Amino acid sequence: MILGFSIALIFFSVMMVVLVLLHKGKGGGLSDMFGGGMSSTGGGSAVAERNLDRITIFMGVGWFACIIILSLLLKAKNG
Amino acid sequence: MLTAFARAFKTPDLRKKLLFTLGIMVVFRMGAHIPVPGVNFKAVQACVNASAKSGNGLLGLVNLFSGGALLQITVFALGIMPYITSSIILQLLTVVIPRLDALKKEGQAGQTKITQYTRYLTIALAILQATGIVATASSGALFGSVNCDTSQIVPDQSIFRIATMVITMSAGTVVIMWLGELITDRGIGNGMSILIFTSVAAGFPSSLWAIKVQKGWATFAFVIIMGLAMVALVVFVEQAQRRIPVQYAKRMIGRRAYGGTSTYIPLKVNQAGVIPVIFASSLLYIPGLIVQLSGSTAGWAQWVDSNLVKSDKPLYGGLYFLLIVFFAFFYVAISFNPEEVADNMKKYGGFIPGIRAGRPTAEYLNYVLTRITWPGSLYLGLIAMVPLVALGLFGASQNFPFGGTSILIIVGVGLETVKQIESQLQQRNYEGFLR
Repeated sequence: MILGFSIALIFFSVMMVVLVLLHKGKGGGLSDMFGGGMSSTGGGSAVAERNLDRITIFMGVGWFACIIILSLLLKAKNG
Repeated sequence: MLTAFARAFKTPDLRKKLLFTLGIMVVFRMGAHIPVPGVNFKAVQACVNASAKSGNGLLGLVNLFSGGALLQITVFALGIMPYITSSIILQLLTVVIPRLDALKKEGQAGQTKITQYTRYLTIALAILQATGIVATASSGALFGSVNCDTSQIVPDQSIFRIATMVITMSAGTVVIMWLGELITDRGIGNGMSILIFTSVAAGFPSSLWAIKVQKGWATFAFVIIMGLAMVALVVFVEQAQRRIPVQYAKRMIGRRAYGGTSTYIPLKVNQAGVIPVIFASSLLYIPGLIVQLSGSTAGWAQWVDSNLVKSDKPLYGGLYFLLIVFFAFFYVAISFNPEEVADNMKKYGGFIPGIRAGRPTAEYLNYVLTRITWPGSLYLGLIAMVPLVALGLFGASQNFPFGGTSILIIVGVGLETVKQIESQLQQRNYEGFLR
């Protein structure tokens, strides 16, 4: 049980990293992080990007659920 | 002022953006409270309480940026620190590596590529730091010399469990990065800085309350008044700018006349913002980190431990101040290029009254900029020194709420975000927050 959820958690974590990297990076580094009054150029996201968002949110929820379930399982085991 | 707030929430698309940003902030704070699976939460809590009493100096800054999540070894323990570090590294590398410099000059497309590199580097750094934290946590070194039961923090020390923890924490950092990008994309303001703002602000009430508990109401009231004065001062200097007049020549294109307007180039007194403070503190953090990770007790390690780790040492303070002044100049030099500005002005027929276009203009801009950066950099250094003074006066903890990095970040990000909301409001209505 614990092993299964650990593997699932690793899977979800790796998927999250890959999916987030697939997104286009927003924001131009440090310079507009603090100060530097440029406003970001908008540009609506494409359909592909929107689907990617959906998958990422789905994976993120799975990732969160895995963390909580695994924590509870480990707590039950260690007492 | 209040009606402006009400109006911000009445405008449908602005309301949507504000609520979206708030929602992401809530998710971010929630993740900062969920421990990584494999960590014994009760043991960690006991150690955090014990170390709060003794004041662990080294991890102070990182802990500040993660909003207290680091010492509790939560999913979002690393916070945005890896992203900041990798942005700093790439920012510095643009000066050294010609290819990055070429990308930067390319404009939008090149900038996107640099951002992409920053994200790759973030993941590498996240894995590195997560390994470091999990390793120090399981060996008990994370809390240094605090006396608590450190062997119970990570009960199961098998390789598989440790690896799961590292991967989970790295993924947590990536999720934070994504949350920040979502805010930049669909919310208000710059996502990364808003997330830093959230973490820093989250530590505010508890550290203020700690002052009240330790020192009583009189000191508490004094600190609050001092804090408000500091905020006013920081806002004043952040807004200060020198306006260099620029006159554009009138030209006819077809039947219409263009230009002939007079505008100005705003040169801010503190052009670099909080970046020098972040650079300097990240750099000063490195020697202590090396000592802690190597676990060495040789002569040099002890010297570093006694001189460069705690911020109340004179050597630390002096170095910190000098580094901030240096980085203020350095950052202004790489972010504002007088020659480029002068060239652009020449191209569009603009000139500063009384000064020739071209090289003399660039020289003049450079002269003004250098002169204006002196007070700016000294101001940054002095503000960063405030916690040290507070440490001497009240024996307050290192994360003294009103001072240094935290106040600069809070005021800087706050001002920037309010300005963005205001510009959105002005699309519909002229009266905003700031008049």
